[in-house]
This record gives sequence, C-alpha cells and structure tokens, in this order.
Amino acid sequence: MEGECFTLLPRVCAVLAAGSSLPDDTSLEKLLDWFSELTTAGVSLVKDCPCLLEFTSTVVNSATSDPCILSFTLKLVGLLASSEDGFIVLQESSVLDLVFNPGHWEKAGHWEDPCVRIGWIQGLRSLLQHTKALCFFVQAGLIEPLLQLQTDTSLFVASAASQILAHILIFYQPSPSLTHNSMEKNEAADKSTNPSTTDDGRCPFKAETDQSFTTVVMLISEHLKNSLVSGGDAKLHHAQQSLRLLVLLLTRLRPPLRDSLLHAVTDALEELLMTDLTPPLMDVILAAHSSSSSDVRIHRLVSSLLSTKKPTDLLHAAAAFLRRGLHDDVHTAQCARAILLPLHIVTGQLFLDMDPADEDLCSMAAQLQNKSSCISIICTCLTNSPLITVLDPSFLPCSLDVIISSILLMLRLCSGDTLSVSSGCSGAVRNVIGSSKVKKCALEALMSVSSSPGAKAEVIKVFTLLLKYLDDPDSDPTVFHKSYQVLVRWISVCRDPSSIPDQLKQDLLGVVRKRVCDVRWEVRDSTVEFLGRLAAVKVHHTTDTEAQSACEVLPGGSSSITPVLEEALLDPESYVRASAISALAQTQAPGWQQGAALTQERSEFVVRLLDVLSEDTEGFPRRAVVQYFISWFSSSASRSSLLRRSVRSVLSRGSADLDWEVKVHTLELAKLLLDEALSAHSSSTKELGAQCVHPYAVIPQPVYTPHTHTENGEEDTAALLETLVEEGVVSVLLSGLVDCDRPVALKACRLLIVLREALCPPSHTDLGTDRETVAKVSFLLPKSGWALEIIKILKTKNKAEEENAATLRSSNCIDELKLGEGYNKGWDGVSGAGCERMSVCELLSNLGLDERVKILNQSSDHVQNSPLSLLQDILSAGGAHTQPNTQLMQEVIVDCY
Amino acid sequence: KKLILVFLYCLSGHPTLPCNVLKFKSTTIMLDCALDTTSVLNYLPLPLVHSPRLSKLPGWISKDGTINLEKELKECAGRLFVDSQPEFCLPEKELLDLSTIDVILISNYHCMMALPYITEHTGFTGTVYATEPTLQIGRLLMEELVKFMERVPKAQSATCWKNKEIQRMLPGPLKDAVEVWTWKRCYSMQEVNSALSKVQLVGYSQKVELFGAVQISPLSSGYSLGSSNWIIQSHHEKVSYVSGSSLLTTHPQPMDQSSLKNSDVLILTGLTQMPTANPDGMLGEFCSNLAMTIRAGGNVLVPCYSSGVIYDLLECLYQFIDSANLGTTPFYFISPVANSSLEFSQIFAEWLCHNKQTKVYLPEPPFPHAELIQTNKLKHYPSIHGDFSSDFKQPCVVFTGHPSLRFGDVVHFMELWGKSNLNTIIFTEPDFSYLDALAPYQPLAMKCVYCPIDTRLNFHQVSKLLKEVQPLHVVCPDQYTQPPPSQSHRSDLMLELQPPPMPYRRCSVLNLPFRRCYERVYILPELANSLVPSELKPGVSVANVSAILHSKDNKHTLQVTPAPPSKKRKRVVEEPPVGGAPKPLLSGAVPLEPFLATLQKHGITEVKVEETTDGHILHLQAEDTLIQLEEDGTHIVCDNNEPLRTTIRDLVLRFLQKL
Repeated sequence: MEGECFTLLPRVCAVLAAGSSLPDDTSLEKLLDWFSELTTAGVSLVKDCPCLLEFTSTVVNSATSDPCILSFTLKLVGLLASSEDGFIVLQESSVLDLVFNPGHWEKAGHWEDPCVRIGWIQGLRSLLQHTKALCFFVQAGLIEPLLQLQTDTSLFVASAASQILAHILIFYQPSPSLTHNSMEKNEAADKSTNPSTTDDGRCPFKAETDQSFTTVVMLISEHLKNSLVSGGDAKLHHAQQSLRLLVLLLTRLRPPLRDSLLHAVTDALEELLMTDLTPPLMDVILAAHSSSSSDVRIHRLVSSLLSTKKPTDLLHAAAAFLRRGLHDDVHTAQCARAILLPLHIVTGQLFLDMDPADEDLCSMAAQLQNKSSCISIICTCLTNSPLITVLDPSFLPCSLDVIISSILLMLRLCSGDTLSVSSGCSGAVRNVIGSSKVKKCALEALMSVSSSPGAKAEVIKVFTLLLKYLDDPDSDPTVFHKSYQVLVRWISVCRDPSSIPDQLKQDLLGVVRKRVCDVRWEVRDSTVEFLGRLAAVKVHHTTDTEAQSACEVLPGGSSSITPVLEEALLDPESYVRASAISALAQTQAPGWQQGAALTQERSEFVVRLLDVLSEDTEGFPRRAVVQYFISWFSSSASRSSLLRRSVRSVLSRGSADLDWEVKVHTLELAKLLLDEALSAHSSSTKELGAQCVHPYAVIPQPVYTPHTHTENGEEDTAALLETLVEEGVVSVLLSGLVDCDRPVALKACRLLIVLREALCPPSHTDLGTDRETVAKVSFLLPKSGWALEIIKILKTKNKAEEENAATLRSSNCIDELKLGEGYNKGWDGVSGAGCERMSVCELLSNLGLDERVKILNQSSDHVQNSPLSLLQDILSAGGAHTQPNTQLMQEVIVDCY
Repeated sequence: KKLILVFLYCLSGHPTLPCNVLKFKSTTIMLDCALDTTSVLNYLPLPLVHSPRLSKLPGWISKDGTINLEKELKECAGRLFVDSQPEFCLPEKELLDLSTIDVILISNYHCMMALPYITEHTGFTGTVYATEPTLQIGRLLMEELVKFMERVPKAQSATCWKNKEIQRMLPGPLKDAVEVWTWKRCYSMQEVNSALSKVQLVGYSQKVELFGAVQISPLSSGYSLGSSNWIIQSHHEKVSYVSGSSLLTTHPQPMDQSSLKNSDVLILTGLTQMPTANPDGMLGEFCSNLAMTIRAGGNVLVPCYSSGVIYDLLECLYQFIDSANLGTTPFYFISPVANSSLEFSQIFAEWLCHNKQTKVYLPEPPFPHAELIQTNKLKHYPSIHGDFSSDFKQPCVVFTGHPSLRFGDVVHFMELWGKSNLNTIIFTEPDFSYLDALAPYQPLAMKCVYCPIDTRLNFHQVSKLLKEVQPLHVVCPDQYTQPPPSQSHRSDLMLELQPPPMPYRRCSVLNLPFRRCYERVYILPELANSLVPSELKPGVSVANVSAILHSKDNKHTLQVTPAPPSKKRKRVVEEPPVGGAPKPLLSGAVPLEPFLATLQKHGITEVKVEETTDGHILHLQAEDTLIQLEEDGTHIVCDNNEPLRTTIRDLVLRFLQKL
C-alpha cells in the first residue's frame, strides 16, 4: 500500500500547492502524522519523495498561499530537515533559510496569522534534532523571535514557544559524563561513530554546538531573568509564562546547567515572592528545592514561601511541598503544622501548641469565618492530611491518634454534633455543618489513615461514627457510598472483629436493613454493594489464624445478609438488582470454595437467577447473572449437577441475549468450560480469565495463547470435544462468531481457534486413529438463525476455494471486508437445506478463522484511517483525480471522518 | 404627627402554638388562637375498648400515706398519669380583657383550636378572619377532637391533684406542670359550631378594612392548605405576622414573600420545631422504616393528624409502594373525619401549588391518594368499629390519630400491636415528644421510629427571608433567640439579627418600636383650591391652612371653614367659632452682622455679643435688654420699655420671610 501512496503523492502535492479545497481541516495534520510515522520508521522522505521538496519550494515562494498550507509546509520542512541528510539537502536548496526567516513571512503579511507562527515553531521543533540544526538556529538569529513568541497573544503559540525553548536546553545539554574538559577528548570517538543522538535520546556535544549552545543558554537565562518581574498585567503574563518554562527546565535539566540557570534567576524569584505568590512561582521554588535542596539561597526561598502571610497560599504551598515528597528538618515539620492548622482551629482540639494570639492562627481563623473559603480550606487540609500520617513521627506536631480523632471530630461537626467543641470557633463550625463536600473529604482522609500505626485503637470510635453517618437520613447518597467504603476499609484492617461490641454490630445490621429500603436507589445500591464487599473481605481472628469473611461482623453473618440481598433482587432499579446478584455471588463464594452441599433454597435461588437472565428487561442484571455463574464455576471445588445444568442453560440463554456485553460474558463462561476441558486434556492450556469484580463491567480482552499440542492425553480428545458439543460450548462459540458486534465475534473467533488448535490437528499431521475419531465428532447445525450464516460462510468459502483460492488470498482487505459486511447484514434468502450434521473439526478448519480474526482485530475504521484513503480524499476533494476508479470513488464517498 | 403606641400581648409561650394580641391604632387584634394540647400527655390514654392493662394500674398514695389519690392518679412504668378526661392548656386569659378583642386572625388550621374557648366564654363580640380551607379543615380537626373525647366519656374529672399543696408533693413531670388550674376539658360540638359561625372567609391578598384604621390582608404562607401570614397596615405603618410558613414545594400554594417587604415590625412565630431534621430526609426515613417493617412481616402504625402532612405521606408512599414491593400491603386511614379530609383536599384547587392546580384542568384529582383509594390500596374508615374490623388484614399500615397517643383509635392499635417487636410505630408529627407519648404504654416491645416531618421555615431559611424582606424590627418567641438547650453550641439554630429581635414569652407585653408616627389627613378639593403655597426652598412649598378637622371612623378630613355668618342671619349656637385671620408665619434666619449694623443705625450701639450653643445672645447694655437669637426662635427680653421692644421686633422681622 505504501508504494501506491507514494505514487499518489506527487498529485497530492500538486493539489495542495494549487491551494485547492481540502476534505476537512484535519487532513493536513493526518498527512503530517503519516510523514512522521514514515520518518520514524526510517524512510528518507527527501530521497523517496522528491515531490515534497518541489512542493515546499513552490509554496514558500508563492505569495498567495493559504495560511494553513503555509503552516503545513513549515512543519513539513522541519520534519524533512530533522535528519542531517535532509537538512543538508534543504540547506543547499536554500529553502531552509527562507522558510525559517520570520522576516520573510512578515514581509508577505502571513506572520499575523497564528497558524503560521505555530507552524514555524513546530517546524523548528522538528528540525532541532541534531547539532547542525542548532548551529543553523543560532546563526540565523532565530532565538530572538522565538523568545518574543513566548509572550504571544495566542496561548497556543506562547505555550509551543515555551515548549521548544525547554526542548532546546534539555536536548542539547551536555551529557552527564561529558564535562567541558573531557568533551574535546571524546570528540574523535564521537566522530568515528557519528551517532546523531545518545542512548538517552539527547544530542552528543560537539565543539561547534558548544558555542551555539552557550549562546542559547545565555540568551534564555537573560530573557528569564528580565521577564521575572512583577508589575502590570502584561508583565505578570510574561512572568507567568517564564515561570512555567522554568518549571519545565528545573525538573529536567542536569546539574551544571540547572545550577547556572537557577543562579541567574534566584534574585528575581526572591523579588517576585515578596510581591505575589502564584501557583507557577510555587512550582518553580519547589522544583528548585527538589533539585538543589542543599543550596542556601533555595533554602531561603522555600522558607519565605512557607512564611507567606496569606493562609490559603500557605496551606497550598505546604501541601505542594509534602506532595512532592520533599523532606528536610526545618520545612517538613512547618508544612505539617500549616496543613493541620485549620483542623486545629475548627475542631478546637488545640493540638498544635500555639499561642492564641499567633498571627498565622488569627489570620487562618478569620478566613475560616467566611463560608466559601472555609469549605475550600478545610477540604484542602483534609485531603492532604494523609500526607502527614506517613511522615516520620519526629516531624509531627502531635501524635497520629490525635490527627485521627480530629478527623473524627470534624466528621461529627459536619453532622451537627457540636457538643465537644469550644465556642471560640463557632463561625467556622457553622460553615461546615451539613457540608457534603467536607464530609466526603473527611471520610476520604479517614479511609487513608486506616492503615496508620495509631489506627487500631480508634476502630470502635470510627465504627460508631460511621454508623451514625449511615443512619443520618440527611446524608447525600455520595456520602453514604463513601461511608460504606470507609467502613469496609476499617473492618478489613481490624485484626480482631470480636472486639467490636455486639450492640454496634446489631446497629449496623439494623442500618443496613433500613438503607436497603431507602427511597433513593443510589443508597440502596451502595448498601447492596457494601454487603458484597463485606463478604469479599477476609479478616483474621486473633485466636484463630484462619481468615473469615468480614460479613461475620454482622450478627448472624452471611445468613443475615442473604435475605436482604434476595429482597434487593426485586428492586425496580436495574443497578441495584445487578449489585445484589454480584453481592450474593460474593457471599456464596466461600461455600463454593469449600464444596458445601447445595440446599433447597440455594437451588431455588439458581432458578430465580436463570429467570432473571431470560426475563429481566435491563442488561445490567443479566450481565451480573452470567458473572455470577462465572464466579461459581471458576471458584467451585466440585462440579455439581445443578452447576452443570445451569451453566448449560446460561450458555444458551446468554448467547441469545440482545445485549452484546451479556454475550461477551457468556463467551467468558464458555471459555472457562473450554479451559477446563483443555486442562484435562493438557495442563498447559489452562488459562484463567481475569475476574471482573464489577457486575456489569466489560470483561477485558484475554491474552490469546494458542495451545501447543502435547503427546499425552490424546486418547480422550474425541470425548472431550463431544462433551463441549453437548454442553453447548461449540454452539455458543459458533453463534458468537457470526454476531454483529465485533467484540463478541472476535472473542468467539479466538476461542474457536484455541479449540481448533487444541483438539483438531491439521490433516497433514499423522496422528493415526485418534485423528479419525476426533474428526468423527459431529455437530448438528440447525437450519435457522445464526447457523444459516455459518452455512453461508462455508458455502462461500468452498466456492471461492474451488474457483481460485490464490486470487482470493492476494486480494486486498476491501474484499475481505465485503465478506465481513455480508454476514453482518444477514442472509435471509439462503435456504438451510435441512439440518446439517457436520464434523466439528471440518467445520472449524473450513470457517477461515485465521483470516476472520485478522479482520476482526482491525478496528472498525481501519480503512478510513489509512494513508491511502487520506490521499485519495485530498485528491478527490481537489478534483484532481484524473483516473477515477469507480469502486474507490464509492469508498471515498462513504469515507468520512 | 403623634406618638403611636403599639402593644403586643403574648398569651401563649409556645412558639408554634401562638396566641398574641396586637393593639394597634385603636384596634385590638388577636393573632392566632392555638391550643396547647401537650398537657394531655399527663393523662392516661382513653381506650376504645376496655383495657385490662390500664384498668389494673396501681393508684398513687404519697409515701407517708397522708395523701391518697388512688382514683385520680395511676402509676405506669414509674410515671404518674391523671386518670381523667384529658384537659388542655388554654391561652392566658388574665393579661387583658378578651372581650375587647375586635378581630381574630387565623393563620392555619392548627392555630385555631382554642377558638371556642375564646369566642364562647369571654364575651367576645368580634369577627374571626380565616381562609376557607382553614375554616373547613379546622372544623374537621375540632370535630375529630370532640368525637375522640365524647366517644369515651369519663364522668370523673380529676381536680384534687391540681391543689397547689398536693401538686408540690407529686413526682415530675406532674409536679412541674404549669397553670394546671386553667386547664380545661374539651369543648362541645355546639361550641365549635357557634365559634365557627363567627368566622368570615377571606382570600389571599384580599384587603379588609378594620374601622377605617387599619387594613388586614392574608398572604399565602406555603405551610398547609389555606395557611396564611397576615399584613396589618395603616397608611404609614405596617406590621407583618408570619406564622407557620414553608418554602418547601409540598402541596399548598407557595409562600408570598414579597408582600412582607417594608414592614416596620415583623412578628415571627411558627418556625420548624425540628430544625435539625430535614423534611426530605425524614420522609425517606419514614418510607425505609415502613418498608423494612412490612418486609419483616410486621405492621406499621402512624399516629397523625387527619390533615396536613398525611397528604404528603400518602403522596410519597404512592411513588414508593412499587419500588419497595409493597403493592399488596393495605394502607388504612382511620379517623371520624378521614373521608371528609381526603375529599376536601381534592376540592380546594385554588389553594394548591401550581402543579396540583394544573392537574385539576386535565381533569385529574390533584392528590394521588385518589388513585390509591380507587385501586383499593388505601382504605379509610371513621373508626375501628364497623367495616374496618371485617376488612382488616395484616401486615398493614395504619394512619390514625391522635398523635399524642392519649385518645382516638391509635390507643387501640397501641394496645393491639405494642407487644410484638415485629411492629413499628413511626411518629411523623413534631408536636409531641415521642418518649412522653409512649410513656403510659411501657413496657413496649414494638419498635419506635421518630421521623418528625416539619415543613415550616428553618433558621437558615428564615435568615434568608429576613434578609430579603428587611423588616425594621423582628419580634419572636424567646426560644428563637438562643440555641436549643440540648444543642447549646449550635449557633446556627437561632436568629441572629441586627438589630437583635425582640423576644417574648407567655404573659409578656411588648411596646413595639415604631419610627414613623404619622396620620393621613385628607383635604377636601375646595379647600385645597384655596391654598396659596409659597416656596420656602427649592422643592419645598408651604401654605397656611385654616380648616376644620373632621374625624370619623379613624378617617381625618380637613374641611373648609364656613363663611362668617351674614349679619342678617341669626347667630346659631352650634356654628363653629370663627377665628380671626391667622398671623403670617415667619421663616428664615437673622444674620448677626447685618442685624448689629441695623441696630446701630437705630442708635443702639452698646451691644455685647455672647456666643451660645444655639446661637447668640445680644446684650444691649444701655437699654438693659437681651436679644436671644437662636436657630428656631428669637426672644426679646425687655422690661417696661414697650416702644423699644416693638422697635427691636420690627427690626428682627425685616430679616424674616412672611408666609
């Protein structure tokens, strides 16, 4: 196809140069993407596509070009010159000087257009990949216009300019092993190998580059230093841009260069810090600190940052400091205090040992009086408090359990329980009462501190509080959800569930029973989900090392949960029904694993689930049912007859479902049966699918590992195949193969290949009688529905093979697609000609599974996205398609982006 | 301009059961007439069928055996109850002469239950104003109360325990009950009818003149069918009475807030009794508990009033029944007035919220309980006797009164279901403490759930409302000026206003602060035509008016003075006295320097000028005369020298303007 594209390219260039209209505004970007791919793949565009050179010189010299085409050309030239060879060719043809001369574009009146400016920057960005390019860049004096563009009115241009400035310094910075002194010594070696880049993708240093680079560094440093000044809006904007660039540089530059850059801007940063603390400035200081923490001046900068008088700024700075994982003796403790300060004030716990007249404390307390700032401050404090709990205790201003109790107290305040609070902070307390936002942040914080060392002692308090939250009718559904999550987490870390008082357990059961009847479906769903999670969590008893399900924290254990969940199966909301099925699977899993005997109720329940699968009007519960059987089948120790019977039923009902995800889940179940059969046949085929935790999540694509034939266990191959036919696995896979949903067909196809590889040996292998026995295993294709399509495929295949198999193979993918489209549309007119009994192996080998899997593997828009299609589009839109091929034209008509 | 004195007499201390009297511009207006029924909690329940349990309760004898009240007081679960017909605590009658009340304004049907006590036993001769739903539903509630009492007559009336000496010896809460001597038995149906015959119906925003002095107008308050706030205003003063209002979107018409603007005084009562219980959350809690009980095979008892929140409960259940799989569970509503209440609610379309009003035009019943009745999911009965006993199926949900659990059909269900822990009683009415209500039924196995649904304004909403309508002063029960005693740190559960609200409690008499004290006086056109205004300063003109002030029905009119009688006519004695032409009015100021210069011209040279706080004192030493020049007056103190005084007067007048 590439050859075909190259043939079309000159005409495309002509169309573009003529300024004809384009199919859509993304065409040029796509074309560039294709060129980039080719360049990355090692194709020399300059050599292989000389038409591109012609095109660039035509466009550059034309005065009337469209700005979009100009921009494209600028980027293209950069791309062409990104290799040294291309660079030389372009420089010789003097295109390069002209293209990257801003004066040229200004004179032509194109520089006003931001798309030309951005084309210029991106062209330069592509170009600056080798030492020659840097020298050209410096000699042509391009640094000045580039620095000016950093404050361009267009945000995109300004941002791109910053990016390229960062690129230049990072890409051309000396390699760590190469100091200025050793550089010359290594030059010879460099020349001999002549690599364009080092292993880490950076440019090796050379003498001529050294000078250019020094110039660039000097100019950029000077520019940064001059722009980092406070002042009016324009100056502020300039400073912000430079700060963003500095952040980029400080995080990626290596020591000598980074240090010199820092040295150049420290004074300016200090001055800026005095006037206004902005987020980018904070980022720069923290980035500087993380790279040069020992520098006294940087240390001083951080100190001034952390002594800002604005409470919110201080809080954000402290949080940013800890989030970066920065630690030092002075600042870490200071940050911890700053983050905990709002908690200290609002809860009135006074754990920070501060003078009530402290300036920071007073200004924070004043801020907390205002409702909106109060909520945001508290949330920031709570969100970042887990950062403190992981710190070394020596940095902490108070013990961990005090922090946990403060979070608990905050939660109590939010629900209006203000009894234990001093009245001094009543304004702030009033602001947080009933705030769902604060509640959620505090619950999140409570969840993250569950594993901290002081947590165990607080279990009862946490339990009591969460119960209160779950019992509060005014809580938002999201607060309920979060409370349940926190409860599960704390139960899972609680080593000794028996330490929880019985009354609390009883209360929890009462609350759960009530919430499962809640008016809001979200609350019912969260409750049911909670019960499932509880059943899935394993806790260790202190006296007994054997793990037990956490639902034992409820009086009556899982037997008290089951009726609640079974009731939820009748819920009018499908999400709740699905969650209930999933939760029931989780509560029953231990029984399955231990091979517990099936009770009458359990059998009746299975019948109920099968009814859900065939009768429920919503997809989610049906998916959950299939998932339930997947869990049962994969975790059960023994295969009861009920399980076998139900699985067969699920396979037939699930494969006939209208929801494609139910079908994919059904195929997953079929895969388990297949895996089981194949593992009996050969242990190497055992391949367990990833278990989907969520009841209605799509199963991730399994890794396809073709089965390798072993010599053992072939005597029962035929019996195995027969079992798979009887259990309905084969028919599920075949029906899936012709399904109109690609994920279903793809999964079925892959599984059929696995089956074919494992059980149906190719005819040329000599396996004696066994092959014959296997070949005799037959399958009765019904004469209706999906089977008709299978028959049609077989007929088409046979006919085609008879005519000319080789022609078909060499045909391009469009023909194959037609075949694919054909079976998707159905073959109503084809007669089934009665039930056909066919050999399974014959069927599998005649379905063309390997070709089919290739087609199915391609995404549905693969034809439309091909470069060929793109080129044809451009030609077609440009009206320059001189040799119209009707078939292709038709394709192009439907080819829309 | 005259000083207006407006008094507010507070006859009830209960913030949600108000009874206040406003004396304003020669009218005496009673604002609401609510009955405090919490006193019945001190009494034993009145069972519909004989209750062996209640009849076996031990009587009370003091520890030393000196006082024997075995027949009057019974002990149950460590508490004493009066075994008698329950009695109610009436509004204060001694604070002012209630026969002087001109009108009674009723804000909603819960706030009129004491009406017969006032209109029938105090010499009241005035009019009661209320909206139609308030009257009709109020009548139903009164009728229900009377029937509950009359159905279980008790000959005995316990009075001995009320003796002050004996009451002091009793254990709490009987010991702490206040004003027990004023407690009264329930009125009769005849008294109800007589009281309600004095009601005059009004519609929202209708203006009613009271003796020409004030105008009253009801505004929708959004709390219940026909509930209103009242505006009482004269030409220059406006008092708003806000009682039992709601901003929630339930069934009644939404609250009219804008008409409350520009009030001099806003009397605020009837805020939510449950400031921390959000009605939506409580409604959800009600449904969850109900479903949980039914699923477990138990019955649900909802003690409630027969009108009001029950409409919302039924509407909520209508939506919830299917989602909770309660389709087959029967719902019973038992009250002597159940049928009328359900039907009345459907016919007061104009008093409903917009959504419900539009349904009427479809035509569809505005409330979905019609459909529940049609599909036999909701059945209503006048009492447990008769059809109900044959239809009754369990598990079921029963809505019945009275929420105090002291009388009504609810007493029967308490006795019937109290022993099983499968059953649940869900309290939705906020008027009674549920623990006190349950006290005579202890020990009780039945589960109790407290979901008080009070849709009235909470503190957050009322602060917002007051910010919006900006009254100059707010008067409210003193309970609203501090956090609830049980939550003393919740400063969000009180009114914080600037200036601070004026608190009242039972028997307070407040002098309401009014800044503007004007009367409107009309001038007849012919008199107005005769006026000659002269401009005092730009935009201000004045004119002399000589007229006769005629006052009748609190309206004041200036009329033309009759012409002097002709000499020919006989002098009539009744004719008004004729005054001479009025002296011209003076205005302006006397400038010091020019005045001194003028004095000098007239030979007065020895003048000593002394500056005072209000102006100057000129001492004419030779003449031994003082001239006090002040901003609003000039005095000439000159003894025994009339010519000099006249001269000085004329000199002063030169500088002034005459009107």
